[in-house]
Amino acid sequence: MGAGSDSLGLLLQGLTHVTPQSLVMIGVALVLLYLGIVKSYEPLLLLPIGAGCLLANLPLSPLIADDGMLRVLYDMGIKNELFPLLIFIGIGALTDFGPLLENPRLVLLGAAGQFGIFLTLLLALALGFTRPEAASIGIIGAIDGPTSIYVSGLLAPHLLGPITVAAYSYMSLVPIILPPIMKLLTTQAERRIRMPYSQRTIGRRTRILFPIVVTVVVGTLVPFATPLIGMLMLGNLMKESGVVERLTNASAQEIANTVTLFLGLAIGSTMVGAEFLKASTLAILVLGIVAFAVDAVAGVLFAKLLNVLSGGKVNPLVGAAGISAFPMAARVVQRVAHEEDFENFLLMHAMGANAAGQIASVVAGGVLLALMGAGGH
Amino acid sequence: MTRRYTLGLRGREFVIDVHELADDRFEVVVGDEIYDVTLSGDEDLPRATIMPGYHPAPGVVGSAARPPVPAAAVGPSGGAPAAAAVPRKPRPAVGGGASTVSAPMPGVILEVHVKAGDRVERGQQIAVLEAMKMHNLIGAPRAGTIGEVCVTPGQAVGHGDALARYAEG
Repeated sequence: MGAGSDSLGLLLQGLTHVTPQSLVMIGVALVLLYLGIVKSYEPLLLLPIGAGCLLANLPLSPLIADDGMLRVLYDMGIKNELFPLLIFIGIGALTDFGPLLENPRLVLLGAAGQFGIFLTLLLALALGFTRPEAASIGIIGAIDGPTSIYVSGLLAPHLLGPITVAAYSYMSLVPIILPPIMKLLTTQAERRIRMPYSQRTIGRRTRILFPIVVTVVVGTLVPFATPLIGMLMLGNLMKESGVVERLTNASAQEIANTVTLFLGLAIGSTMVGAEFLKASTLAILVLGIVAFAVDAVAGVLFAKLLNVLSGGKVNPLVGAAGISAFPMAARVVQRVAHEEDFENFLLMHAMGANAAGQIASVVAGGVLLALMGAGGH
Repeated sequence: MTRRYTLGLRGREFVIDVHELADDRFEVVVGDEIYDVTLSGDEDLPRATIMPGYHPAPGVVGSAARPPVPAAAVGPSGGAPAAAAVPRKPRPAVGGGASTVSAPMPGVILEVHVKAGDRVERGQQIAVLEAMKMHNLIGAPRAGTIGEVCVTPGQAVGHGDALARYAEG
């Protein structure tokens, strides 16, 4: 008899180990899957994250036990920062820095678009987060997924789940978050400022030297940014050199896709009840959207300043592209400007500011790590 | 950027490739000959006409870098000649002159929505241009009748290339 009830208990241990927390987290996983599948918010990330979250929260999930698949993925790629760096090679291989090289002044807008990082950091400190936690939350303002994962993975791994979810969910909401801010801060006349496409031929030599020079300069000034900028520029160097097309394509497609799947699953698996269901998660979600908004406000206001200084030649909308979120922010800028004046095409300028924002995000991440004294040394 | 001009002259067809090295330097390929050309001035003349009796001597290729299209260069809104605002540029700015619909930036034409003879209103969609992986709707700079469509879907265009010309020129 005793053996029989033991067997029954063993067979039903799944049911007996269901906890309220795990049920809530399964609900969260379903929301993420819904957002990805039905709402098309960054499905490439939210679907694997949702799946990882679901699988990790099933009772006694062997996937997150020692040597479980999700645990193995986490250890091999998130804990040591490998996955975000591999993704960065792919981003570099897909990024065209041509528009930035054609109009190097745009780099200023990329810098302005990072302001939200530091304001959010201060807000998080005020709310009682520790310094490394506050820095990790602030990095949501870099509006760049891999950078957020990289920095928070080093500084506050326990917050990785909510920070990643906030960063990617809001990034997919860029087309919704940005336009009201852009319209609120600009007049119709400003939105109609035309910026003709300035055709300047960027030679192959410049395009090849650019990633090398940026890597050396940024790496020397901000050593903590070396991994991120190095991988980003490696991808770009492969693309621009044109001599390793197979490697470029592999980085931008197969490797990036594979790593995205692994990364999403592993991030999702960190979202388990006890760690995720805290007031701090809610605070992170709120602070994340503050970071986004402040970035956009700072970018647009700075572009307004540039417009005044240049005598009316800079459309302030372009500033909103400085926030990073490449290339979505640039497309939003083009769309808003085009709605005001169908003959105005800001896309190339916005792409330049956007590429500058991408670099600035990485630099800001390195600066934060340096300030926190973190890193592998 | 390279532009190919195919010109009919006295019953013969000439292919001239103008390869832009810098804003004011061009490599012009006429047949087997290659010329390095420096552009010292470039202006679009309103109602420019090709002067009859003008016979370019062999070797005089300086004018080849100039687009042979009679692009009337009245800016879309200002009324000032666009070329005066943007000197030393091969072509006028965004939106093109009043006689053409031109590409505002480099890209690939995905769709063309008009054909020769169509009446268009200002702002009516002429084509879809893909640039930086974004679909951009190109609208007509003014009302008029389309005289000629210069591009086909799938075609790569450079900044300022004519997508369509108005019949009224």
